Amino acid sequence: MNSNDAIFAQLATLCSSLVLLFGIALLWRRSLVAYVRAFRWQSLALALTFALIGYFGHNRELYVVAVILIVLKVVIIPGYLTRLYERVGGKREAQPYVNIATSLIISGLLVSLSYAITRPLVTVSKLPTRNGIPLAVGLILVGVFVIISRRKALSQIIGFLVLENGIALLAALGTYGIPLIVELGVFLDALMGFLVMQILVYQINDTFESIDVEQLSRLRH
Amino acid sequence: MKFLLLLLPSLISALGAYVVRPYRATVGWLNALLSLLSLGAALVFAGHAARGAEAPLFGPGELLRADGLSALLMVCVAAASTLTLTLSPGVGTETDYTHAQLRRYQILINLFIFSMLLAVSANNVAVMWVALEATTIFSALLIPLTRSKSSVEASWKYILIGSVGIALAFAGTVLGYFDFVALTGRAENALNWPALLQNAPAMHPEVMKLAFVFLLVGYGTKAGIAPMHTWKPDAYGEAPPALAALMSSALFAVAMYAILRWKIVADAAIKDHYADNLLLALGLLSLAIAAFSVAQSRNYKRMLAYSSVEHTGLICFGLGLGAAGVFAALLHLVNHTAAKSLMFFLAGDIERKYGSSAVKQTRGLLKVAPWTGGLFAAGLLALMGLPPFGMFISEFALFRAGFAQHHPWLMGAALLLLLVAFVSFITRLNNMLYGEAPAEVAAGETVGWRVAPMLLGALALVALGLTLPAPLETLLDQIMRSVSR
Repeated sequence: MNSNDAIFAQLATLCSSLVLLFGIALLWRRSLVAYVRAFRWQSLALALTFALIGYFGHNRELYVVAVILIVLKVVIIPGYLTRLYERVGGKREAQPYVNIATSLIISGLLVSLSYAITRPLVTVSKLPTRNGIPLAVGLILVGVFVIISRRKALSQIIGFLVLENGIALLAALGTYGIPLIVELGVFLDALMGFLVMQILVYQINDTFESIDVEQLSRLRH
Repeated sequence: MKFLLLLLPSLISALGAYVVRPYRATVGWLNALLSLLSLGAALVFAGHAARGAEAPLFGPGELLRADGLSALLMVCVAAASTLTLTLSPGVGTETDYTHAQLRRYQILINLFIFSMLLAVSANNVAVMWVALEATTIFSALLIPLTRSKSSVEASWKYILIGSVGIALAFAGTVLGYFDFVALTGRAENALNWPALLQNAPAMHPEVMKLAFVFLLVGYGTKAGIAPMHTWKPDAYGEAPPALAALMSSALFAVAMYAILRWKIVADAAIKDHYADNLLLALGLLSLAIAAFSVAQSRNYKRMLAYSSVEHTGLICFGLGLGAAGVFAALLHLVNHTAAKSLMFFLAGDIERKYGSSAVKQTRGLLKVAPWTGGLFAAGLLALMGLPPFGMFISEFALFRAGFAQHHPWLMGAALLLLLVAFVSFITRLNNMLYGEAPAEVAAGETVGWRVAPMLLGALALVALGLTLPAPLETLLDQIMRSVSR
């Protein structure tokens, strides 16, 4: 491994750790404002990772992806999210189903678990970026955990967005980016999915006069 | 050209519905007629594949492809769509929906159909994923067509669970691609099925195992395999009947298709029964959960949703039982598509008549509306797997495949669970068909002329029970040959 690769490997691990850390930040903060801010920083770190891999991996397409990421996930979606919580109120994730200390322990366990399940990948891979792969899978699991453990519809949306970032990170680290045309389709779907979720949050707020998903328990048997 | 004929009609229909404001019944009729073009194209593809010809390709980077498996699914999706669009609200019958709602319905349902057709004709695994994700978006928008607390709740749960599932499937796709890139470098067609399958034997089994788990959980969520089925009763119960019909028949088939496609690749890479065993385990779990949920259900729409979970389990079984099992599973999928696309329309009609979807409130159906009741009974008996309906044949083939593969205990357990569900179905059906109807329910049919297309569907079910049509058999044989190792 030449020195260039060694620097690349270290930078890639550093960036992936940053992306994961901003995901875990969701678990120790309580206000939705802080959630949106954490998501914004995470997306920025993700865009940086893409640019980094683009530079060292000699793939110009990844610069395009990084720019789209910044426009979409640092500017547009957080903007919508801010408007959303201003309109529907409820700025605090009052009582998540799982308290903060337990959440952090669980996320630690999830990251360890992801190290265990990605062992075969890391061992067969020869990519300099391979050490970031467990972190990406860890972020995916943390995203799922946020969705399960939070009560506000808005927090669940942010959990989903974090999950998507985890998958994007995995794609970047593991394959140096999927083909650009596919990436564009993925972005389009992500944006549309987010917009539909936003519409539904407004509808939930209109019909239930709250966005606490605790109330969504009418349908049984 | 044929691909355009397959895909464009639904887009044109959506566009037409968008342009014409306010909604007119002519739009509904035209869209139903246009969908016949898609069906025609699908049948041509199926005929082509049954003759064993080379799979046609289309578009830049060989974007679309129609081999036998794709063609079979195209026919299922297109036929269910034509039936749905013909029976849709606002097409020649009175309806409770406003014109604005009907316009929205026509736009979204056609976009939904388009994404399903794209998913089964996509040659690129990632394009298939993009199309499947789009189905979630369009259907989630359509569930709360009449906005109520329960429909909004169902829609939220559906989009959340569905999106997480499909995101995990994407993670699986990336993991599959990961090994592929390491093998062949970044090729233009790297994510196309034939290239993937060709290189699969050289992939690392360990990596493919991990990828397949993600894919199975992800697409399994869309298909409603237990334990990822929890959105199903909510969404099917609250969606407009036309959407529920299409989701339970066509969308379900498309999700199972995605699993089967990846299973073929996984089998080639892993070389042992890893994928089979996973499918058998989840199949058994689905059957068990379905059997006990049916026994608890008090609402016939939710009961139908649990019946879907049951058939999901059976089809998983089939996919895990070797070539003969895949044959049975695909035949079962065809039967299920025909039966389910009828049942939710009938359930919707019954609910309109009785003003409730509770089994207890629905009595004396045969006296109130003999045609609706009779068809509902026939459909439910078909879903229970009784002769002379097609599902009897496919379930029989499935169990034979299971015993031939030396899984007597597993198949015995499955039979027992089917029996549990059977008893619950029959008591509920009994309750609905006979007895005294509530005084406020006036006798009289609600189906009207729509009984004709519904009868056609029921006849197809009987026909599939009495004989296996030669073109279908050759098509299934062709698929089986390409699937088996």
